[in-house]
Amino acid sequence: MTAATGPAATIGGHAGGEVELIGLEKRFDDVVAVDRVDLEIASGEFFSLLGPSGCGKTTTLRLIAGFERPTGGDIRLDGASLAAVPPDRRPVNTVFQNYALFPHLNVLDNVAFGMRYQKVKRAERERRAKEALELVELGDYAKRRPHQLSGGQQQRVALARALVLRPAVLLLDEPLGALDAKIRRALRVELKALQEEVGTTFIFVTHDQEEALSMSDRIAVMHEGRVDQVGTPREIYEGPATLFVADFLGVANVMDVEVVTSDGRGCRLRVGERELRAECDFLGSGAASAVVRPERLRVLPHGESGENFIPGMIDRTIYVGSNLQVMVRLANGGLLQASVPNDGADLESHAQGAPVSVHVPPDALRILAPRG
Amino acid sequence: MSRLIDPWGRPRWLRLTTWAYIAWSLVPVLAAIVFSFNDGRSRSVWQGFSTRWWWGDPNLSVFHDPIYTNALVHSLELAALDMLIATPLGFLLAIGLSRWRGRGSGSANFLMLVPLTTPELAMAVSLLLVFTQLTIIPFTWVALGTTAQVIGQVTFSVSYVVVIVRSRLASLGPEYEEAARDLGASARQSLQHVLLPLLLPAAFASTLIVFALSIDDFVVTQYMSAGGETVTIPMLLYANARGAATTPALNAVATIMVIVTLVGVGGAYLVLRWFGHRSGEAGGEAAGQMGMDLTGME
Amino acid sequence: MRNEGGIWRTLSIPGVVWLVLFVVVPAYAVVAVAMGQIDSLLQPVPQWNPIDWNVGFVKEAFTSVLPGGTYWPATRNTIVFVAVTVVLCFAIGYPVAYYVARKAGRSKGLLLLLIFLPFWVSYLMRMLAWIGLLAPDGYVNVVLGWFGIGHTEWLSGNPYSVIAALTYGYIPYFILPVYAGLDRIDQRLLEASRDLGASAARTFLRVTLPLSWPSILAGSVLIVLPMFGDYYTNDLISGSPHTNMLGNSVNLLVQGGSQKNLGAALVLVLMTILAIGMLYYLWETRRQQEKLAS
Repeated sequence: MTAATGPAATIGGHAGGEVELIGLEKRFDDVVAVDRVDLEIASGEFFSLLGPSGCGKTTTLRLIAGFERPTGGDIRLDGASLAAVPPDRRPVNTVFQNYALFPHLNVLDNVAFGMRYQKVKRAERERRAKEALELVELGDYAKRRPHQLSGGQQQRVALARALVLRPAVLLLDEPLGALDAKIRRALRVELKALQEEVGTTFIFVTHDQEEALSMSDRIAVMHEGRVDQVGTPREIYEGPATLFVADFLGVANVMDVEVVTSDGRGCRLRVGERELRAECDFLGSGAASAVVRPERLRVLPHGESGENFIPGMIDRTIYVGSNLQVMVRLANGGLLQASVPNDGADLESHAQGAPVSVHVPPDALRILAPRG
Repeated sequence: MSRLIDPWGRPRWLRLTTWAYIAWSLVPVLAAIVFSFNDGRSRSVWQGFSTRWWWGDPNLSVFHDPIYTNALVHSLELAALDMLIATPLGFLLAIGLSRWRGRGSGSANFLMLVPLTTPELAMAVSLLLVFTQLTIIPFTWVALGTTAQVIGQVTFSVSYVVVIVRSRLASLGPEYEEAARDLGASARQSLQHVLLPLLLPAAFASTLIVFALSIDDFVVTQYMSAGGETVTIPMLLYANARGAATTPALNAVATIMVIVTLVGVGGAYLVLRWFGHRSGEAGGEAAGQMGMDLTGME
Repeated sequence: MRNEGGIWRTLSIPGVVWLVLFVVVPAYAVVAVAMGQIDSLLQPVPQWNPIDWNVGFVKEAFTSVLPGGTYWPATRNTIVFVAVTVVLCFAIGYPVAYYVARKAGRSKGLLLLLIFLPFWVSYLMRMLAWIGLLAPDGYVNVVLGWFGIGHTEWLSGNPYSVIAALTYGYIPYFILPVYAGLDRIDQRLLEASRDLGASAARTFLRVTLPLSWPSILAGSVLIVLPMFGDYYTNDLISGSPHTNMLGNSVNLLVQGGSQKNLGAALVLVLMTILAIGMLYYLWETRRQQEKLAS
């Protein structure tokens, strides 16, 4: 969506849009789908709810939209409770997973649908709907039926239909899920640009970590109805608060370690017979888990030594094009996965059985309390 | 080169059986239609072609003998009334039952299924007894005859309408309604502006099925009838099919009934296809379901 | 959605009121007449108050349908005719449904149209068609004559004719659900079976047939229910009391004679038998579903 400042002004620009979830809970019979969730989402933020299917993210979204009645807690929009407000009265709109474009209406009428209930005059409705379609570059498709559009186009109609109502908050339920990989990547950029342009609060539900990381201002990772961690993409990826978060976002090496000393700024760990230094704020000592991302590990020829080097032997190397996935077997039997950029060097030095030294940068280690 | 074999071969005997079945199911009906053009009085021996039983004979042909014309008119009259009452009644009931949770909804759902799972004879007997034996309002208002016939037909037609409309509702899912609510429509507005238009093809299909059910119905219609004025075509067929004096005009009136039904159903199918063409799948699916729905399945 | 149950209940009210008036109350009327008395003019006097119910007619009806009773021949005929018809419908209908659902290829559309056609032709019209052909001078006897088979009386008290007519009349209602069930079977399951070493025949016996069992049951229920209330087929094709079914007995008592009490009681007996059958069907389908779910 290129520089469409004119139309953007007509569809965006709702003041406020600050959402607070306070102890929000939803039970279905004896299943707890959303378990006392507390979140504060700032006005104009692109906020993602990330998690595997069944983690409660969609239910949370449906609670905010008003399709489900919470069994506990409260939802506040700009300080006012939404608990008693039916979905049609909430200044919140949704882009549905399969878009839910009305098949009996053409594209323009779909976009104009909601304005009817805001008592917007017919001529005005049509003008704003057309502008919204221009904004999503579908101005020429106004008279088409939804089923005549491609998946990506349908998704943009659904966006226009919701945004034209100038909602305080836009809820997006896996809006890219039904599209194929290439379009999905292109739409990610467009969606983010659009959000910045209109300045509306976006609450985006996805199970795709790459999607969440690349678009969000902040992310809440959900797991079994609870929020495990809230933070910026970088905080969450690099400083996972739980093993689940570490595991769910990308590939993570998890090592069982023993914390020998810690002083709040750094600590010393024992991994097998080796000692490593880590920059972390972990306090205490004893058994713990150390998490490190494969791309932070460096695999060097055998013999390199110094602080935070661990010797090992290459177990397997998998060629994945842009890089090599190198599995290194450590002396204590553990396995580390390292990601080595494919810089054109020959693959001999990473052949199976080759002895290597793995460097673990102190700032790449994240220490978590042990499992369970 | 070795012979290529098709792993999913089609046994020839299955094909033969199928075509033999189709011939068996349709040829007798075609024969009965052909006999309506018989030149003689016989309905079993061919005596040459004529149109005397259709319109040639000034007294005994279908279009001149009041016995046939009355039955034809009465059949169509009942069908029209049945469509007018059963379709809206069943349509509302289907929407209501699909969303109504709580006390009473379970019994209402069960009640809706009763006419589909009871032999028609039991229904006919029960209606006959209630109209002839129960002396309280509103049953005393209903005498046997056209009114009772319409009531009886509506009572079993409603369930078919409910089944068809509900299957369409189920395939629509809740998302369009939620989208409408999300965009600011109240419950009533989303019903009016989204659900009703989307259910239109199903309503149309069910109207046609009600028409076919009514035209073809015999048992309830016979039990609720009161004399010559209220005779329908199926009743004529029942009364005269074995009659020695019956002429091929009976075949002709039966043929008219078949043609009316087939034209109606074929026309409806085309309309639904057009609906479907306009909105992606909606009507096409309803068209495909029409046959299925007739049996009251799913 | 929240607190809006009212609108849905309101929409249901007209339909529910209709069903109460014309299904529930009439059903009670049947009970009241069956449990009622008879006056001096042989007219039924329904007993609406359960306290004063007279179970005499119901007792009589129950004993009359058992061996030795007045209506035992009708019961026996009904059981035999219905059972043979279901078997014939399966023997003819299943291969047809199977071929159209899974083997028809490009002619599927045409075949579907043709197997749907009988639905839109009234049952009585289809009986009329056979009456012409089975008449003493009809074409069935003519054709059989070519093979040296002598003149046969098909239309007076011939149980084979009645069974043939029932099969002809009800088979479309059997084929349809079976077709739908077979059409739904996932082709990948059949491919998996072949891949795992089962021959085409074994794949049919061990995968296709068990998976279509629920639809065979559904088709059977669909034809058994109306056959228990059928009196017109026998009236048209046989006309003889020797081939009477239970439907004929009820029809004669209620519409023909002056024994409406006994007729109503017989309806109760009929419904009891069918209710037991339906309970079995529901139990069996639940069992099937549980098998598939686990």
